[in-house]
Amino acid sequence: MIKIKLELEKVFLVIFLVILFFIGPGVLLDYKIKHDFPYGYMASDTFQHQVRAEAIKDAGNFRYEAPYISKGLENAVGIYPPLIYHIAVIYSYLAGIETYDSIYFLVFFFAVISSLAMYFIIRDFNRNVALMSLPLGILIFSYPLLIGITWGNWPSLLAQFFLIQFAFSLMKIDLKNSYFLIAIIFSAMILSHTSEAIFALIFVLLFLMIKLISRSLGKRELYVILIGLFISLILSSYYIIIFMNTWLKAQPYHLYQVPIWLGGPSFYILDFGWLLILITAGILFSIQRFRNMHISFILAFAMLLGGFLNYAGFGLRAFQIRFFWPIYLSVFFGAGIYMLLKFIVKKWNMVYTIPLFIVFTVLLTGLIKIPSIPHYNRATSEGLMDPYHWAALTWISKNTEDNSKIYFFYGDIYGQNALLRNSKRSHHLVDQDDFVKSLQERKIKKYYMSNLPGDDGGSIWMRSGIFAFKEIPPTKPSEYFFGSQDICKFDYIVFDKVSRQQVLAQYNLLIASELLKKDYVTKVFENEVVIILKNKNIGGDCIEERSF
Amino acid sequence: MKKEVSDLLKKELQYIGLLFLLALAIFKVVFFKEDFIVLLRSVLSLFWLFVLPSYFILLYWRENLEFIERFVIGIAVSAGIIGMSSYYLGLIGLNIKYHIFLLPLALILIGMSIIKKDIKF
Repeated sequence: MIKIKLELEKVFLVIFLVILFFIGPGVLLDYKIKHDFPYGYMASDTFQHQVRAEAIKDAGNFRYEAPYISKGLENAVGIYPPLIYHIAVIYSYLAGIETYDSIYFLVFFFAVISSLAMYFIIRDFNRNVALMSLPLGILIFSYPLLIGITWGNWPSLLAQFFLIQFAFSLMKIDLKNSYFLIAIIFSAMILSHTSEAIFALIFVLLFLMIKLISRSLGKRELYVILIGLFISLILSSYYIIIFMNTWLKAQPYHLYQVPIWLGGPSFYILDFGWLLILITAGILFSIQRFRNMHISFILAFAMLLGGFLNYAGFGLRAFQIRFFWPIYLSVFFGAGIYMLLKFIVKKWNMVYTIPLFIVFTVLLTGLIKIPSIPHYNRATSEGLMDPYHWAALTWISKNTEDNSKIYFFYGDIYGQNALLRNSKRSHHLVDQDDFVKSLQERKIKKYYMSNLPGDDGGSIWMRSGIFAFKEIPPTKPSEYFFGSQDICKFDYIVFDKVSRQQVLAQYNLLIASELLKKDYVTKVFENEVVIILKNKNIGGDCIEERSF
Repeated sequence: MKKEVSDLLKKELQYIGLLFLLALAIFKVVFFKEDFIVLLRSVLSLFWLFVLPSYFILLYWRENLEFIERFVIGIAVSAGIIGMSSYYLGLIGLNIKYHIFLLPLALILIGMSIIKKDIKF
C-alpha cells in the first residue's frame, strides 16, 4: 500500500512538472529552446540582462561593464549581482545555444524547480498537503505575475529560487555540518539579487522568534545559522564591497510607501479571488499550531509580510517577492483545503488528495474557468525583437570597428533601449520629441536632440582601491548624456523603414536619402525593415539642412 | 561500509540515469518543435552543471537526506558554487569558457574525495 502511495506521488509530480514546463517555457518560448533571435523578450530589462551575459561571454569575466552598456564609459566596475550571468554563459557554451536563449531558459527552469523545492519543504510537514499545494504554483506563469519573467526581473527570481532552497537548508539544520548548505545558498542569494538576502534574514528572524517563543531554540541551531551566515559573508565579501559602495549609495533606503508599483501591473493579495478563502483557512490553521509551526509556514508568513513591505520602504523589491507568492503561499492553500475537509473526512489518505490535486490543477490551468478563481492565461508573443532588427544589430556587432559610434534614428521598438546594446557599440538614440517636432516643422537637420542610452540603474562607478569607488555621471556635463548631437560625427547611422506610424519611417527615409547624396555616405546594410549607412567623413557636412 | 556505499553509488547513479531519461522525455513533450540533438545537449548540460557536481558533494549527507531531497537541494548547491566560483575565477583571469568543464569536474572530484574512504572501487 505504501509503495502504491509513493508511486502515485511520483506519477503526479511528473505530470505536474510536465504541465509547469509546458505552460511556462513551452508556451512562451514557442516549444523551442533555440531561437534565431531573442524570443519572448517583452521589455527593456530582459535585454539588459541578456546583453550583460553576452558581454561577459565576450570578455571572459565580469570585472568591468562593457562600455556600450555603461554609456560609452570605459573601465566601469561590473556592479550587478553576477551569478545569473555566469551560469547563463556557462550553460550557453555547454548547450550550444546563444546567451539570449540560455539565460531565458534558465529563468524558467529555476522557476519550475522552485515550485518543486517548495513541494519537498511542505512534504516534510505533510505529503497530502504538499500535493494539494502544488497547483497554486501554476499561477506564476499567469498574467500579471508572469511579467516577473517576461519583463526581466530575472535576478530577483533566481535569488528567490535560492531563498526557497535556503528554507530547505534551514529545515535540515540538524544535519552534521549543515552550515555548509546555509553558507553556500545564502551566498548564492547575495550574488543573485542582494535584496532577497534581506528578505531571507527576515525569514530567519521569524524562524528564530517562533523557536524562541515555543522554547525549542537550541544553542546549536543558533550557532549553525550564525556560522553559516558568517561563512557566506566571507564567500560573497568581494561583491558585498562593490554592492555597499555602489548600489547602496545610488539607491539608499528611504522609508516611504509605494502602494502601487509604477513599473508595471502588480499582483495584489485580493487577486487570489475565492482561493483566498482556502489560503486564509491555511493561515488560521498554522496560527493554531503556532508553537509547532513547520518551516514551510514560517517561510510563507515571512514572504507574505515581505510582499507587503512596499509600505515600509522596500518599494519594487517587495513587489518582486509577490511574483512567487503562489509558491510561497501554496502551503496555506494546501493546508487550508486539508483542514476544512478534515471536518468531514476523519481518516485522510491519497484517495482524497489525488482528485483534489486534479480538480485544482484543472481550475488553475483554466481548462474549466470559474469567475473569481485566477487561472493560467496563455500569453504568446515573439516579443519586442524581430528577425530584421536582430539581423541589423548583429551586423553592426560583427562588421563594424570596435570603436565605431552608432546613431539610431526613430524606431518603434527603440524605446526599450537596452535592446540597442546588442549592437555592442557605443550608440546614441534620437530624442523622440525632437524627432517628431522636426518632422512637424518639416525640417531636415544636422543636429538632433539625442539620448546616450545605457544602464545607470545603480549609477556608473570606477574603482580606484579596494573600498574606493567614484561615481562617474556627476563628473560629466549633462550634455554628455542628453543633448544636441551632430549626426555627421557618427560612423554608422541606422534608420527604420517601417513603423506603426508610417510617417515617422518616411521621415527616417527622407533623412537617409539626404545623407546618401554625399558620396562618402554609403548604404552598407539593408533588409525589409532597417537601413544602415556608413559615414566615411566623420565631422564633415554630411547633410544639407533644409525644409521640405 | 565500503560495499554499502559502493552499492548505493551504483543504485543512485542508475536513478540519475533514469531521471536523465525522464527529463529528456519531458523536454521532448514540452519543446516538441525542437531538434532532438538540441534537447539532448540541453538536458546533458543541465545534468553536468546542476546535478552531477552536487550529487557527489551531497553524498556526505547520504544517510540523512533521501536521494530525491539531495537531488532537489543539489540543484541550488551546484548552481551556487559554480556561479560564485565562475565569477571569482573570471576575476582572477581564467576565462569563463574554461569553467564549463573545469568547475563541475572539480566539484565531482571534491565530492568523491570527501567520501573516498567509504568507497570500494
